[in-house]
Amino acid sequence: MKGLWVSNVRGYVQLKLVRGDAEALLNGVTAAGIRPWDIAYARDGALTFRVTVPDFFRLRPLLKRTGCRTRILERRGFPFQMARLSRRKVFAGGLLAFVAALFLLSMLVWDVQVKTEAPIGEEQVLQAARQEGLHPFQWSFLLRDPATIAHGIARRLPEAAWVGVEKSGTRVTITVVKSNKPEVKKPQSPSNLVASTDAVVTRIVAESGRPKVQRNERVRKGEVLISGVIGEDGRTKNVVSKGEVKGLVWHEYKIVSPLARKVETYTGESNERGYFVIGNRALQTSGYKAQTFAASEFRSERRQLHWGSWTLPFGFLKEKEREVSTIEETLTPEQAKEAGLAQARTEVLAAAGRGAVIKAEKLLHEHTENGKVMINILFEVEQSIAVERPIIQMSNIQGE
Amino acid sequence: MPRVGRKLRKWTARILDLPQDVVLDLPRITMIAGLQLTVENHRGVLHFSPQSLRLAMERGELEVTGNDLVIRTIGGEEVFVEGQITGVLLRPK
Repeated sequence: MKGLWVSNVRGYVQLKLVRGDAEALLNGVTAAGIRPWDIAYARDGALTFRVTVPDFFRLRPLLKRTGCRTRILERRGFPFQMARLSRRKVFAGGLLAFVAALFLLSMLVWDVQVKTEAPIGEEQVLQAARQEGLHPFQWSFLLRDPATIAHGIARRLPEAAWVGVEKSGTRVTITVVKSNKPEVKKPQSPSNLVASTDAVVTRIVAESGRPKVQRNERVRKGEVLISGVIGEDGRTKNVVSKGEVKGLVWHEYKIVSPLARKVETYTGESNERGYFVIGNRALQTSGYKAQTFAASEFRSERRQLHWGSWTLPFGFLKEKEREVSTIEETLTPEQAKEAGLAQARTEVLAAAGRGAVIKAEKLLHEHTENGKVMINILFEVEQSIAVERPIIQMSNIQGE
Repeated sequence: MPRVGRKLRKWTARILDLPQDVVLDLPRITMIAGLQLTVENHRGVLHFSPQSLRLAMERGELEVTGNDLVIRTIGGEEVFVEGQITGVLLRPK
């Protein structure tokens, strides 16, 4: 007995010795190289043992020689089961049909899954896959190589940067990665660069188009600085003019600056309150003994409880109330003037746009009246003066 | 086995410190409580019944007594017995 499953595969029989000498048989059997097992005496006193089917046929001449006779009690193992099965044709057929059906069904593509990115719809990918011959309930042996299918799908989806087809069993997964396209710039119509205000040109650089003015030239508002019409008479072409034009522009400001100023300061007195927050409701836990302030400022700090990556609906809120008092400050006319000028400078630079520089400032008029300082000031600012204006057909003639 | 040969083998086994069963073809009996018994190097079955099993050996006999004895496997060299073993008796010739 080399192991039960080996004997099961080869088939084995249980024999009963009906007549003959048990010891002689056992010695003969072992001498012949046959290996019986489970040798025992049955209830009726007869010797029983088991041998494999091939051994059983080698046993027969031995039995004749020793004058023994056996009877088969049991037949077990695969060959006998097969023989039994061959008598039940429908059952055996069903068994075979089941195995065959399982085999055939496992060769179908049951599921096509799509992993895609925003602009490419799942339907679109499935449609492309169907055209490439990949769809559910398709024989998987009829499918072409996944790399070929992926290539075909990618050809049908122009927005896709990469398409991957992965087949695992009866499931096919299509992965689509979209391609990032640069934003389309809308085409611009031919244009001139014109002056936005009256100015004196300090710098003119044309990237495209033809400069029409020169440095230190005085320009009026709306005058063409860089023309989008290039070429000589009769053979002209309109282009989008680009360039940088800077000029000196004058801004006149009237400033009224008061001599008295109100300043808010903290007195140093404060209250603190603590809250326990559930959802959007807060329960005050501390700071009941608070002073009352005439004017105050609040500042709150909220801490939410976290559990791993989850934010819990519980938290703590700390609120600080600070007392504020307003102080009136009196300024000298000099200080008031300086404050007014500083404010005027930031205003003029904000209005002039990026890259603007104050070149000069000239105090035109100044007088103090009713606790206020009144100033009239002129700023000379170097700033960009170019503004785009589309060329209308008429301007063709105007430009020449 | 001739007398001189056996003496020589015995001497070799003693000098080289070899197990005697390997050199002299003696039976080796392995027993697990009263449940299982393996005999190696036997020389055939003399008698077998549920109460006793007598095996021939190189020199003499081995008798296993017990109840419901079953020979699980038997080969040319070894026997594997199961059952309620109550005694093992050696009868040297």
